[in-house]
Amino acid sequence: MQIVQVLAYGILLGGIYALLASGVTLIFGVLDVVNVAQGAFLVFSALFTWQIWDMFGMEPLLLIPVMGAMMGIIGWAIYRGMLIRVAPQGPGMTVLLMFGVALTMEGILNLAFGNKFKSVTPAYFTESLKLGEIVLPYPQLISGVLAIVVLGAIYAYLRFSWAGRALRASSQNRDGAALVGISHKKAAGFAFAIGAATAGVGGVLLAIMYPIFPATHYEWIARLLGVVVLGGFGSIPGAIIAALLLGTMESFASTFVPQWAPLFFYGTILLILVFRPQGIMGSKTREDVA
Amino acid sequence: MSESTVLTMDKVEAGYGGGLVLQGLSLELAKGTITCIVGPNGAGKSTVLRVISGLLKPSSGTVTLGSEAIGGKAPADILRLGIAQVPQSGALFPDMSVHENVMLGGYPIRRERALLKSRIAMVEEMMPIVKERAHDKAGNLSGGQRRMVEISRALILDPSLVLMDEPSLGLDPKSVAKVAAVIRNMASEGRTVLLVEQNVRLGMNLATHGVVMEQGTVRLTGDAAGIADNPEVASMYLGKAIEK
Repeated sequence: MQIVQVLAYGILLGGIYALLASGVTLIFGVLDVVNVAQGAFLVFSALFTWQIWDMFGMEPLLLIPVMGAMMGIIGWAIYRGMLIRVAPQGPGMTVLLMFGVALTMEGILNLAFGNKFKSVTPAYFTESLKLGEIVLPYPQLISGVLAIVVLGAIYAYLRFSWAGRALRASSQNRDGAALVGISHKKAAGFAFAIGAATAGVGGVLLAIMYPIFPATHYEWIARLLGVVVLGGFGSIPGAIIAALLLGTMESFASTFVPQWAPLFFYGTILLILVFRPQGIMGSKTREDVA
Repeated sequence: MSESTVLTMDKVEAGYGGGLVLQGLSLELAKGTITCIVGPNGAGKSTVLRVISGLLKPSSGTVTLGSEAIGGKAPADILRLGIAQVPQSGALFPDMSVHENVMLGGYPIRRERALLKSRIAMVEEMMPIVKERAHDKAGNLSGGQRRMVEISRALILDPSLVLMDEPSLGLDPKSVAKVAAVIRNMASEGRTVLLVEQNVRLGMNLATHGVVMEQGTVRLTGDAAGIADNPEVASMYLGKAIEK
């Protein structure tokens, strides 16, 4: 029974990793930008959630659409204001820019919230769902399920809407997309907005699960990049598979060998990449097959 | 400019920053004709197509479609005016289905659902592969099949002018014959075709008009048979006379 419990917990954790990493991989797929500020976006949203919850005592989950929209707009503004100018300089410069954005956000958060852990603790914070012998804490259960639902909604939107088709087309073949009249700038701005919005949603979910302080964004971006690299940069299905795999690994490790949990997380990535350097769903680059 | 002139390029100069590729190029295309541009590598053949389709802005000169100046317009606007381009290769979205690829050709008319639907039906009828392989990923098709899907995608907007960059490149002889038949069919429907070909023999057999380019300008123009027979062209680019 413990195995089922650990597995369920791993899938919930994986669902959250999947939502957050899909934002990073979506942005990379369309823009060729490694958004190292995604962790900072996440913590930004989480601390704002804490602030609003602390002031008004409202149900934090109601903030999901608000924080999603807010981070989406901030993301779009960062793209139109800064990234669009730096993008032609290549991936090295955009990583530096986004690292700068992350540090700036961390600084702002430090000033606004101080360098202390904050926790959002709604009434169900300490309660659990009991199904026979399986015990699932509500914060984890709710966050995991909502992450999977939001991710499913984003996936369906990208799959079936014209905006989503344009975005995927631009990510698969920029010149080909231009030929059918798709503006890469619009697709890229939209991709960055959606990517940042996943961090906005994720921040709320994170806030009810873990204590947060500004510098935790380093830890998160390390994990997210790990998930994205393992899944294959630019592949959303890859990120989902990798996230579920790593979530489950981490859940097992922290139950049975807690002191080794981080080693299991990063060790899995290392091991798989030795045999599959392009990641689980990553395709080889055009240069390889030409 | 005659009555039936569809597109005119007048003294067009364009380049990629390192220098001018097109150096005062002038060209006229008549309705329903197939014009083939030939010339050595680096002559600027593909650049002509890029300028017409708006992927490259001319630095001087004019490009006119009917009576409308289109030089320097955005690719999306030029598409809407009825000029579609089938590029050299790799224009498809490899992870999308054939159906989605063709559908995306209708991106500029995506809000006119009924029109888009009827255009897809029209293309499905013209190009059987679109229906037969509708649910296969474009990346899994052979070179010839991809070329057919690329052409199908360009036809969704019912273009009056179709630009094709080396339609025979990398195709087996059977596929080349199929592509040639599709091109002739387009012209017989009243569409104007401008193509660039390395394969001069094939290009001139297919085309009604020929244009010989050299160093960014037009060296010779004329009907395709005349160009093919021109001894100067033959010795310049082919080393020997063209077999018919």
